[in-house]
Amino acid sequence: MDVTIVVPLYNEEESVEMLYREVSAAAGSLRRSWELLLIDDGSTDGTAGKLREICALDPRVRALRFRRNYGQTAALQAGFDHAEGQVVITLDGDLQNDPGDFGLLLDTLDQGYDVVSGWRRDRKDRLLSRRVPSIAANWLIGALTGVRIHDNGCTLKAYRAEVVKRARLYAEMHRFLTPMMSLSGSRWHEVAVHHRPRRFGRSKYGISRIWKVFLDLLAVKMLLGFTLRPAKWFAALSVPFLIGTLLAFAASVYVDLTVAPGHRYPLVFPAITLLFAFAFTHLLIVGLFSELVVRTGDFRPGETAISSLSEGRS
Amino acid sequence: MRTRWSRGEPDVSVVIPVVERHGDLAQLYGEFAAELARLGLTAEFIFVVDEHLRGAVPALREIQPLPEQPIDVVLLGGPFGESAALTTGFHRARAERIVTLASYFQVEPSGLGAALQALDEGADLVAGRRHPRIDSWFNRLQTRLFHGIVRQLTRTPFHDLSCGFKVMRRRVARELSLYGGLHRFIPLLALHRGFAVREIPLPQRREDCATRYFGTPTYVGRLLDILNVFFLTKFTRTPLRFFGLLGAGLFSLGFGIDLVAVLEKVFFATGLSDRAVLLLGVLLMVLGVQTLSLGLIGEIIIFTHARHVRDYRIAEVIKNPPRPELELVERKDYERVRNLR
Repeated sequence: MDVTIVVPLYNEEESVEMLYREVSAAAGSLRRSWELLLIDDGSTDGTAGKLREICALDPRVRALRFRRNYGQTAALQAGFDHAEGQVVITLDGDLQNDPGDFGLLLDTLDQGYDVVSGWRRDRKDRLLSRRVPSIAANWLIGALTGVRIHDNGCTLKAYRAEVVKRARLYAEMHRFLTPMMSLSGSRWHEVAVHHRPRRFGRSKYGISRIWKVFLDLLAVKMLLGFTLRPAKWFAALSVPFLIGTLLAFAASVYVDLTVAPGHRYPLVFPAITLLFAFAFTHLLIVGLFSELVVRTGDFRPGETAISSLSEGRS
Repeated sequence: MRTRWSRGEPDVSVVIPVVERHGDLAQLYGEFAAELARLGLTAEFIFVVDEHLRGAVPALREIQPLPEQPIDVVLLGGPFGESAALTTGFHRARAERIVTLASYFQVEPSGLGAALQALDEGADLVAGRRHPRIDSWFNRLQTRLFHGIVRQLTRTPFHDLSCGFKVMRRRVARELSLYGGLHRFIPLLALHRGFAVREIPLPQRREDCATRYFGTPTYVGRLLDILNVFFLTKFTRTPLRFFGLLGAGLFSLGFGIDLVAVLEKVFFATGLSDRAVLLLGVLLMVLGVQTLSLGLIGEIIIFTHARHVRDYRIAEVIKNPPRPELELVERKDYERVRNLR
């Protein structure tokens, strides 16, 4: 099998048939063997029934139905786990991605990349509620992770299967797929793809709670930073507290030297010294502890890059 | 009529953890066994006795079982509690449908038929709710408070988690991992795993009506259980969201306090060093950083183990020819397949 096309679906009853027709037409013109893997992420409408009809018609189509709604990361993960192709292409179930871009993605991948990410350069969504937050978020992700791509939110991507099957996905990491994969040593590239206005239903995977994205981003940032030395990362975090300790200590000494005879010595600055010193040592210890956690885990920096080089490419 | 046992499997397994009151075991067995027989079902009764109640074993041995409702008594090797007792019972259960009961009368046996029928209608787990309740207002107040908090925190619809009466499919029982006080949250955990869960009202028995006064440790324990479940169902994959939000909150609070103190010093010349509030601010900031750093550690733990983390549960694989393979890929099976490759 050359290509597996993975599509997460959540309540896409109206669009799933057209999706199947468009995908099979586009994939048929690629002159590669392909399969379509549809992931029903706990839909509550008639999506499952439609999937049964499609699967009964076409042996190249498989569908997985989740017990409940688990979110897009889990849906993609399931697709990656069950994909049989050497290349995995993912796209949204709402027909906004254009299956006509498959060829471009595959050609770019063949130039020697592990991940090719789509960029909806001409995005057909609402400006204020979708596009502006997206531009800001992508800028922030690029600035913090160093993986400067324009469009992290685009589901239309192509991956080499051996890379994606080793990927570490959990929680809602689908927002940071390319940075997370670069973390394990993948070579990535971005190409501009088509984007079409929504025809059915409404958007389901929006940026609903900004604080979650921020904290997830902090996690990704840290994971990118710690790949080599977590202790160092935490030590850097503890520097402000070291400075605080020294300043408060200096203040205590100063007060001690200048306090008028017979006056009570105020304990505020020594106490602040102690507290900051606590935080400082705490972070150092946490850093050491995290070394222990990383050593006992199974993560090795560049884990996928090494394997893909040794296994060669087709 | 041994015929229906020929597959080596009764219609229903009844698991009864004996961890507290156990005066009416014989009568409990008698009434529920009779009700099952009336429904035309064969059953095995599995009594799992916690070690500190080993005194209940002789009484259980004296019960004369009905012909198609045999009794199995398991004695735990230590005071392991209700979660362990249930898990032991689940592992011995041979039937596809499992009923759990408290070791004393909580509800009328007449509700069994309705509960089993709900299972046939597609539910994976049916949780009993004692309703209408006939016990004291104090008991009812406790129940309301406890479940009000749980419902708010976890956004689930359950009214009576402490009711021991539950009917579930065996695969639900096998998939739950129970420890500590988690047995109290079985419907919630099952719902979290994507199973279809229903709550049905069952008339309360008079034997259940003794007013329950618990000591402070019990209430503290319950609160910790609630926190545990809240964390388990929401944040096990995203520890930084939990600790990060908490830590950021503490830090900003402390920072705000100190900022105000400093501004007062600048504009109103209130001496900084005379103020204990400055210390409070610093303390909160330090606590915030410590909490946040624990969240980061949690995130590292998840990340370095994420290759084996599978959050999703597959209900059905659809392919051509259209033969649904139920529960084809469970996580352990999946990992085994992956390792073979």
